[in-house]
Amino acid sequence: MRTELSKYKNSKRYKSKIRQDLFFKSIFQLSALLSSMMIVIIIVFILVKGLQPFIAGYQYGTRNFFEFLVGLVYRQDQGIYGVGFIVVNTLISGFGALLISFPLAVLTALFIAKIAPKRLADAMQTVVELLASIPSVVYGVFAAGSITVMVKNLGAMLSIQTAGGSSLLAVMLLLAIMIYPTITSLAITSIQAVPEDIQHASLALGATTTQTNFKVVLTSAKSGIFAGAILGLGRAFGEATAVSMVAGNKLFGPTFNLFDITRTLTSTILTGLKETTGVDYDIRFSAGIVLMIVILISNLSINLLKNRIGSQK
Amino acid sequence: MNRKKLRALKDRLLNGVTFLSSGISVVVLSLIFIFVFSRGWNTLNWNWFTNDYWSVNMYLALPEGSQSSYNKPSDLSNTVYYSSKYGFAVTDYIDEQKISQIKIVYIDPSSPLLDASILTNGPDFGKANPIKVNMLVQKFTYMDDVGISHSAGSIIKQNAAQFIDTLETKSISIKSTYVQTIGGGIRGSLIATLLLILLSLLIALPIGIMSAIYINEYASHGKLTPWIRSSIELLTGVPSIIFGLMGMLVLYPITALAGANGTSILLGSLTLSIVLLPTIIRSTEESLKTVPDHFRSASLSLGANMSQTIFKIVLPSAIPGILTGVLLSIGRIIGESAALIYTMGTFINDDPSILKGSTSLAVQIWSVMGGEQPNFQLACAISIVILAIVLFMNISVKFIANSLRKTW
Repeated sequence: MRTELSKYKNSKRYKSKIRQDLFFKSIFQLSALLSSMMIVIIIVFILVKGLQPFIAGYQYGTRNFFEFLVGLVYRQDQGIYGVGFIVVNTLISGFGALLISFPLAVLTALFIAKIAPKRLADAMQTVVELLASIPSVVYGVFAAGSITVMVKNLGAMLSIQTAGGSSLLAVMLLLAIMIYPTITSLAITSIQAVPEDIQHASLALGATTTQTNFKVVLTSAKSGIFAGAILGLGRAFGEATAVSMVAGNKLFGPTFNLFDITRTLTSTILTGLKETTGVDYDIRFSAGIVLMIVILISNLSINLLKNRIGSQK
Repeated sequence: MNRKKLRALKDRLLNGVTFLSSGISVVVLSLIFIFVFSRGWNTLNWNWFTNDYWSVNMYLALPEGSQSSYNKPSDLSNTVYYSSKYGFAVTDYIDEQKISQIKIVYIDPSSPLLDASILTNGPDFGKANPIKVNMLVQKFTYMDDVGISHSAGSIIKQNAAQFIDTLETKSISIKSTYVQTIGGGIRGSLIATLLLILLSLLIALPIGIMSAIYINEYASHGKLTPWIRSSIELLTGVPSIIFGLMGMLVLYPITALAGANGTSILLGSLTLSIVLLPTIIRSTEESLKTVPDHFRSASLSLGANMSQTIFKIVLPSAIPGILTGVLLSIGRIIGESAALIYTMGTFINDDPSILKGSTSLAVQIWSVMGGEQPNFQLACAISIVILAIVLFMNISVKFIANSLRKTW
């Protein structure tokens, strides 16, 4: 028996089988490593390219990094690049959208997960999924054709002049619609995951179903709900095509007036590229770095906020 | 008693608020659909799918002494006007810019219009170029009975009836004609989108599936695996415009090696394949997880090695998940715009090829919406197509999830 086995182990067939196994394993391993390397490649290359304009000896004239970060004017024609006000605009539009969308999304999630009868809940779930599957460029067309008209009419009613409706308000409304399905679907998942016993406990203490829903279920599901808010905010900051269609192209700022045109980091990166050389090209990568940092910091701060709310309860 | 009533009232109020906020989302969704369909529905027809985007103007000469008599076909409708002298029929047509045009809808097989040749100076001068159905008549130059040439057609603000009437009553022969093909079609973008889907999947599927296999089959408890998982997961949070920047910077040199100069479909596909990786890896992994461990044990104990087990036992069982990943990816590719604007370009190309820049359907929307006069009709019509495809993909995913899920 033992000699049979060792004979087989020394045979050509067995060896080629082992070799084949090793070959496939290394291919699988390689592709897994490649996939996980992508994020590193993205970050490293964009960092290197984006920091170039601020390093001494830059061929198109070194820029001051500090002036870039806090600058309040962005004019390609004059070569002045300051993204300080653009960051503020991005934060305002993103958090504004979250402010509109978050309560609506959480209430809808509660309705779908707890309050609505089965049929209605299924229908509403489909509505949310449909909203989530609409591509951003379609949202952009919708916003450019209807939200801007609405804002323009609203402005005319209040006798405020708008630039054809392209405005901070239009951007906020658009983003609110776009992040709504993200927040809602995460909130639904986390509300459904709230354990039954604590709801029963609340009911047994004499609370009504509605009181239980609002005071027990929502607070227990807060972790998932805030995760949805983070995802939604990330989407709001990173959304490019749709926002560029309604933002206008403000050259200085920041914009606090709801009816004034604005400019976000993504619309700055996306619009007006003419050549793929020169500082105007490189500075978009710098704006890309700032965008990623903005997303990162706002994620961290929402996480902090979540923990605050947790400790009070 | 009073307190109880108050409480019930409060509860009803709160429930009403949740109902209202759900209602808002329904209203928004219907508004979007109403907007897109009301603006774009009229543009949708079969020719629109096969037409070029750019219309071509042609100046053509007709052979001498071309008048004769042709029989009118019996199946022409009331709004179509027929020229029995030259054997063709036209109708009124409103183009996208809301300008009324005259469209040729029928040409007799022996009509002189089929013997036209190009009159514009250049390499194509004198080449035979028959006038086709669906072209727009700009101008016909005809000779009257005293030998003076006149013009007829939409260029002198005639409609179809006046145009045919002029030709029938006044003309002796047609000297030359100035016709235009109908533009505004999406054929180029449609082909480019198909190429993009094909290429992106061709690149992303093998890498994604193999990565999922490694993570799930070989290294599910490895020390590096959590790192690999979370770095792939991080990709989902990266805004697509960053992918566009990355493609322009990192992947462009690779396509340049293949011979592309500037933006190209290849560059777009390479960029999108990175965007798709997390989706494909996640859905493949999900379905690999559902394959029970005793399948693997049975195969291994029969003497199959790891790779044989994977290819012959595990992967076939994971096909529904992979299919889900493919469908989700196609939906994502069709909707993607920001990552493609810098990598595929925004020039609408009627003759797309892999190494040249062209627009996908979504980017064509971006292109026609830019500029001074955004073309809402065309943008909304393309939106309808995109929405239809994306919804179909989502429904298919649900269907697969429900019906192909095996119970072991």
